[in-house]
Amino acid sequence: MDCGTAVGKILAKADGLLPRQEEAELAGHLAGCPACAAEDAAITGTGPALRALTGIRAMEKAPALDAMWTRVRAGIEEKRETRRRPLWAARWVWIPAVMTIALLALLFYPSRTDRSPFHPSSFDVAVEDVESDTATVALVDKGEDLPTVIWIIEDAKT
Amino acid sequence: MNEREVGGVPDDALIRTTLAGDDGAFAELVERYKGRAFAVAVGIVGDGDDALDVVQDSFIKAYYKLKEFRFGSNFYTWFYRLLVNQAIDRWRKSARSAEVPFDESWLSEDASPPDSFAYPRTPEDLVRNRELGDALQRAVDALPEYHRAVIVLREVDGMAYDEIARVLGCSVGTVMSRLHYARGKLRESLKSHREE
Repeated sequence: MDCGTAVGKILAKADGLLPRQEEAELAGHLAGCPACAAEDAAITGTGPALRALTGIRAMEKAPALDAMWTRVRAGIEEKRETRRRPLWAARWVWIPAVMTIALLALLFYPSRTDRSPFHPSSFDVAVEDVESDTATVALVDKGEDLPTVIWIIEDAKT
Repeated sequence: MNEREVGGVPDDALIRTTLAGDDGAFAELVERYKGRAFAVAVGIVGDGDDALDVVQDSFIKAYYKLKEFRFGSNFYTWFYRLLVNQAIDRWRKSARSAEVPFDESWLSEDASPPDSFAYPRTPEDLVRNRELGDALQRAVDALPEYHRAVIVLREVDGMAYDEIARVLGCSVGTVMSRLHYARGKLRESLKSHREE
């Protein structure tokens, strides 16, 4: 048996797929070939070494592992709540939205009073002057549907 | 491999009962697979607390994806796919992860023959020789993530090559070459530890 064949058989043996008769042949080769014997030791030794390592970690975390279902159930419930929340929230979300819009309107609308909401290009007015020693008073009456506007001009300032 | 014989009720029946609204049946699946799932997760992520989180998250994900499970296939193969992906994601996000260049020489026939080495065989061996345990953990950490997943599924969980291929979504040939690479790397790392 050459070394290439032996390595294939070592892998097959590790996987439990090597017939007993071939296993005996392999053992004969390993007895006379240190390199293949080391390969065999490496392949058959890896599993127990890794299982020993994970075994230690499992022992360290045994209490937490015992409570795994409690953790999982909590996670499932939490996710279930998160999935429910959008439906619940959708029902009430318009209330803070409307309140926010109303608040913004109250805050910002007065700051724009320099702009009249009413921009007539022309209109008929009746102006009535009232004499005064200190001021010029103008009364404007545009009609029945609109309010009367009064300007009081005092020392050339309105 | 499948633990339905041990637990009594087949996995498929537990899944159907869970889908019908009985979370107790899913609790049974968790109890059935949590130990093996932890061993695989800790083999990939390295840290026990991270592994617990991975197992927990994988079961939660499985619970909500249970509708997608195809009856007739193995639950653990389906679940392990979620678990391994979750573990690899966790590993990538962790501070322990590092870029490990793929060493093609391990796949070639030119790889140097190994020296004989006394591997630890039980947790007690590693407890007695903590340095060796640390060296083994470092060697596992240094493996590229999918190579680590392959060797853990094969050596720790005892999965067959075709099952590993289904879990990782690759060919059996890829599984075998990754296993060869991983074994070689572990052997080399532990040999270096012995020589220190």
